[in-house]
Amino acid sequence: MFEARLANGKTLKDIIESIKDLVNDANLDCSEEGISIQCMDSSHVSLVSISLAANAFDHYRCDRPLSLGLNSANMAKIFKMMGKDDSVVLKAEDEPDNLTMMFENDKTDTIADFELKLMDIDNEQLGIPDTPYKCTIQMPAGEFQRIIRDLQVLGDACTISCTKEGIRFTVSGSIGTGNILIRAHDAEKEENSVKIEMEEPVELSFALRYLNFFTKATPLSAQVVLCMSPEVPIVVDYPIEDTGFVKFYLAPKIDEGDEEE
Amino acid sequence: MTTNKRQNDASISDGIAPKRIRGGGGVDAMNFVGDEMIDEDFIEMIEEQNPEDFIPDDVEDFDDGDSVIAASRSKWLRPPLESRLTNENDLNVQWLDIDMVAGPPLKRNPNRKKSVVAGNTNGQQVPIIRVYGVNEQGHSITMFIHGFTPYAYFALPQQFPAKAFTEKVKKDIRRLLDGRLRNAQRSNHGKLNEYVLAVQYVGDHRSIMGYETSHTQFLKVHLAMPTLVPTLKRIVEGGIDLGIPGFTGEIPLAAFECNVPFVLRYMIDMDITGAGWLTLPQETYKVRSKNEKQTHCQIEVDITYDDVVARKSEGEWNKIAPIRILSVDIECQGRKGHFPEAEKDPVIQIANTVTVYGEKEPTIQNVFTLKGCLPIVGAQVISSDKEEDMLMKWRAFLECSDPDIITGYNVQNFDIPYLLDRATALAKGSSQSKTKLANFSLWGRVKNSRAKMRDTMFQSSAYGRRSNVETTIDGRVIFDMLPYMQRNHKLSSYTLNSVCSEFLGQQKEDVHHSIISDLQNGSDEDRHRLAVYCLKDALLPQRLMDKLSCLVNYIEMARVTGVPVSFLISRGQQIKVFSMILRKCQDEKLLVPTLAKQGSAGGDVGYEGATVLDPIKKYYTDPIATLDFASLYPSIMQAWNLCYSTLVSPTDVNRVNPDKYKKSENGHCFVHSNVKKGILPTILEELLTARKRAKRDMKLAPTEFERAVQNGRQLALKVSANSVYGFTGAIVGHLPCLPIASSVTSYGRYLLEKTKEFVEDKYTIANGYEHNAQVIYGDTDSVMVKFGTSDLKEAFRLAEEAASKASKIFPSPILLEFEKVYYPYLLMNKKRYAGLMWTQEDKYDKMDTKGLETVRRDNCALVRDIIQTSLNKILIDRNVRGAIDYVKSQISNLLQNKMDISQLVITKSLNKGAEYALGLPGGKKDDYKVKQAHVELAARMRKRDAGSAPQMGDRVPYVIITGAKGAANFEKAEDPVYVLENNLPIDCKWYLTNQLSKPLTRIFEPIIENVDKNLLQGDHTRKIFIPTPSARKGSLMMFAVKATTCIGCKAPVDASKGFLCKHCVPKEAEIYLSKLAVMREAELRYNDLWATAQKIHGTVHSDIMCTGDGCACQFYRRKKVQTDIKLAQQVLDKFGR
Repeated sequence: MFEARLANGKTLKDIIESIKDLVNDANLDCSEEGISIQCMDSSHVSLVSISLAANAFDHYRCDRPLSLGLNSANMAKIFKMMGKDDSVVLKAEDEPDNLTMMFENDKTDTIADFELKLMDIDNEQLGIPDTPYKCTIQMPAGEFQRIIRDLQVLGDACTISCTKEGIRFTVSGSIGTGNILIRAHDAEKEENSVKIEMEEPVELSFALRYLNFFTKATPLSAQVVLCMSPEVPIVVDYPIEDTGFVKFYLAPKIDEGDEEE
Repeated sequence: MTTNKRQNDASISDGIAPKRIRGGGGVDAMNFVGDEMIDEDFIEMIEEQNPEDFIPDDVEDFDDGDSVIAASRSKWLRPPLESRLTNENDLNVQWLDIDMVAGPPLKRNPNRKKSVVAGNTNGQQVPIIRVYGVNEQGHSITMFIHGFTPYAYFALPQQFPAKAFTEKVKKDIRRLLDGRLRNAQRSNHGKLNEYVLAVQYVGDHRSIMGYETSHTQFLKVHLAMPTLVPTLKRIVEGGIDLGIPGFTGEIPLAAFECNVPFVLRYMIDMDITGAGWLTLPQETYKVRSKNEKQTHCQIEVDITYDDVVARKSEGEWNKIAPIRILSVDIECQGRKGHFPEAEKDPVIQIANTVTVYGEKEPTIQNVFTLKGCLPIVGAQVISSDKEEDMLMKWRAFLECSDPDIITGYNVQNFDIPYLLDRATALAKGSSQSKTKLANFSLWGRVKNSRAKMRDTMFQSSAYGRRSNVETTIDGRVIFDMLPYMQRNHKLSSYTLNSVCSEFLGQQKEDVHHSIISDLQNGSDEDRHRLAVYCLKDALLPQRLMDKLSCLVNYIEMARVTGVPVSFLISRGQQIKVFSMILRKCQDEKLLVPTLAKQGSAGGDVGYEGATVLDPIKKYYTDPIATLDFASLYPSIMQAWNLCYSTLVSPTDVNRVNPDKYKKSENGHCFVHSNVKKGILPTILEELLTARKRAKRDMKLAPTEFERAVQNGRQLALKVSANSVYGFTGAIVGHLPCLPIASSVTSYGRYLLEKTKEFVEDKYTIANGYEHNAQVIYGDTDSVMVKFGTSDLKEAFRLAEEAASKASKIFPSPILLEFEKVYYPYLLMNKKRYAGLMWTQEDKYDKMDTKGLETVRRDNCALVRDIIQTSLNKILIDRNVRGAIDYVKSQISNLLQNKMDISQLVITKSLNKGAEYALGLPGGKKDDYKVKQAHVELAARMRKRDAGSAPQMGDRVPYVIITGAKGAANFEKAEDPVYVLENNLPIDCKWYLTNQLSKPLTRIFEPIIENVDKNLLQGDHTRKIFIPTPSARKGSLMMFAVKATTCIGCKAPVDASKGFLCKHCVPKEAEIYLSKLAVMREAELRYNDLWATAQKIHGTVHSDIMCTGDGCACQFYRRKKVQTDIKLAQQVLDKFGR
């Protein structure tokens, strides 16, 4: 038996929204510690890692580990019917065919419940081991989203370089080139400041298409954390308060092949 | 003299030999013997010295110094001549190739009864027609036909007084034209003494165009050389002064019959048909002595053109001579990553098979190899250490075996050009090679004639557009099987392998050219393997040719339409009809105008085509009868006498008695056949009568060969009859006539409507029948009738009755035939249906489908299979429920990735326009506007490995893999082998929505409601499998780590604590067994596939190297099962720990 109640249902909705363009079908793994999704996107280029700890929920019970095969598009359809302030309850049997989703609204005293047919997804669990990174950048998520969106106009790939000066996004394409530099600074509001922790400068190049997909998680978090080291995948991390995160991993482009496109 | 000779050599080694017409075989041959002209006495002297020697043995000019060749020579030669040949007997020859050269005229007529040599005698070069053939004994013969000259007609003005055309006027016109032609000649080279040989007035011919025509008087001009005809046409069309009062000044005259190829002109005038038998009556010809001979043929004769007797292809003369057919295949040693290029890559093997027509087994089988090779059973192996030697040995073989026809698979565009280019490339390398290979390209029958290549573009509405290399080998016909298959059979793949498995039930190992190099560098045994493979490649086209009676069909087509066989290979449909019209016109004293080619102004001059009665879409479980019009278009043309010569032009309509003509359904008038019978109806009548006869003969044929000939004949007749209509409608053609073409289709529509009316009016309950008949569909020449009865017998009876009754209301020879009943019948849309076909009452013949994905090539095999099986279940088993369940299970398998990848492969060919995307020279951006999946993939594969990447013209196999949202198809296409090797996930949903859903909806729409919901969605789509790609450079998988999950329930587990979660531990044994079963299944599958592959390729102790996607040895499946076993083993290994 699995049962979990999240007072702020919107978080869950936003999580699904953030991955639905990237991942069609994924297993939601439920365990005593919490719920998580770890999978590659459907084109097998990037990796998504989502975690929401048990203590993020106001009620959480999981008797035995479960894998719930979800179709993200269908789940998003059901979340469309959720009110802004609703709390959400997820329920499933031990060997489930369905996932029950209940939307409760205290103000209007309504309870809506839905059943989502589950899929049987046969795949392997993948993860990127935690490693120390040479550069860690914290910046406003909205700002990151805007930059990525804007640079897409110019080209397919974007170089992110992190130096003492700041963080620089460079793009070049057939119509011209673009260059955005953000210096580290503290703002009045904590969430608007840009912080850089750096051991050595790093410069990597990425497909903008995927970075753009990642920014769909912007509503989840005020700040985004980018972690980079030479020749390893970038981590685009959207922390969800202290209880969880949505992380994306993307391998840097290498010069010789554009096959990852 | 020396300088002169060097120049001559240079022009030859350029490979651009002088045009045949100018250089002249005769002159070349003279140079070859010696620099000075040899007088006749000298020839006769030599003749007397060795009178018995008649074998075309050219050992003296070919010094190979190889004992193997010398020993084999006798085996390769044609049957020797029994005795010295004289002209005392008639000589019968089946001819195959024809060409023309310029040469000196004959000094005296070989026919002693005639003293004068026909044609021009003033010493200048004259056209000589060379005809190559084989006699009944299989001896090769070249006939030099002298005295025929080209000519052209020009229409004189209508009021032209015939009487005024005096000898003086003729002389004046002749002088005028001669002068103008002389001036038109740009250089002094090839200047003639005389251009116009004669000018004649022709008053008894008329133009074929129109019932009333203004062209009834003509000027016939004889010329010295065929090349002058177009120039003359231009001059006369520009206007000439006729020199008669009232007709002075530049009067342009319309050209007639100026576009008839010279050799065809001769054939038509002498009534010679293609590949037919010719008889040279005794004492009309002269046999050339050994020293006079210009060719390698066994017999050479001179004869004047009017002494040749053409045999009509009937009775005895239907036979086919023992023609020699050589099938060739070469192997090249490509460099890694490159397609072989003649500039760099050596030819390593040349396999040959020589067959004599009429014999079942090949006469000669051999293979020339570079470096040693173990002996091969049934074939001679001739090894050489140097490539140059091998090439020259092969050339010696070619000359000795003297084939009439050279075949192979894609020889035209690959093997032959490669050999020639390779020799040229080698000759550049060193002077030693140059000397050695100097004579390599002498492949022709004419001595010293080199094979000449040129690039051609071939375009035809029926065959599409193809670029080719056309190689001329004097006296030999190149009959490539690949274009033949492409023209005559619609297949999903044209690789030799798939074609052979389709028609011969035979497979060959499809060795990728990158492996060939390794084999060549290996041991004698490896090369033996390659040689066996190469020999098979040479043998298969040969077998294919026999099986499909290609040669017979082409010979019969040439006989029926009267064009040389080579025209059938290198030219389109039109020349055939044109030849038939010209022949018929000659009898009727009609002349065909030479129309100016109208560009491709097709757009607005189209006309309404055939009609289609609206289908009533449904799944019919009652018998549906099909009534067909037999040869609809030809019989329409006959019934209403539609022809060029019967067309009354709108301006003349008022002047013609209305009783004489009939207005067609769309307003064109044609006179009745009793007024004037048209040329086309006459041709058609003859063709169709001949076909009936051929069909009858086929039934009576005593031998299999005879039957094949008659079958080829009736097919050729049918195709020819049907192409007449197309000829009249071809706007860019020789003689388009839209009034005819549009009248034909309008009558077609009328007939269809009438039939529908008749059937639906007559077969009603009101008229005493049990049901009301309903025409549920009709297309061009057939109507489908539902008589309402559920009894098959009754349906047969009613349909037969209806057909014969309906035929009576139409004019003869229009005939409505009852052919077949569909029962049950699934009518999906226009030109889309499926049904069980019955031609007898007791047993159905087969399942007949039209317009369905079962035949279309741009779909994957999965679609074809699912459609085919569903139809089988629906129509044959009548189990609709079963069909639905089957489709669902297939969809579910697809989503779980259980589908074999070969089922999902889609192939498309790289056509013109793709050069740009591939970065090839000559690619234009304009030619490639929309990105295409297979082209983009080919470009990507090129970057990975240029050698194994598909080349222009190749079919590119691809599968669709998953991509990011919004990724276009061309980004998602991937090479199947690459997918297997990297375990990339296939976009199963794409296959479901883009490939399966439409055809399935079409089939099931008439049967069940809401196909989308009931078939394509539901529980069976909810179990999926997502593979994990293998790590490759630059991908995220290089960094990702597989988390340990419980083997039983997929829950994450701690790797150090085992492989099962605590909930699954109690079920360990059960889980182990299930995983073991997976492994066992994979192993068995592997075994089966392996055994099958071994069986197909006939080898049990060596690797299967075949990588062909069309091969039944299931390359993809073998590859897949290897991956499966590996994965299953990994799972099992966990239990051991």
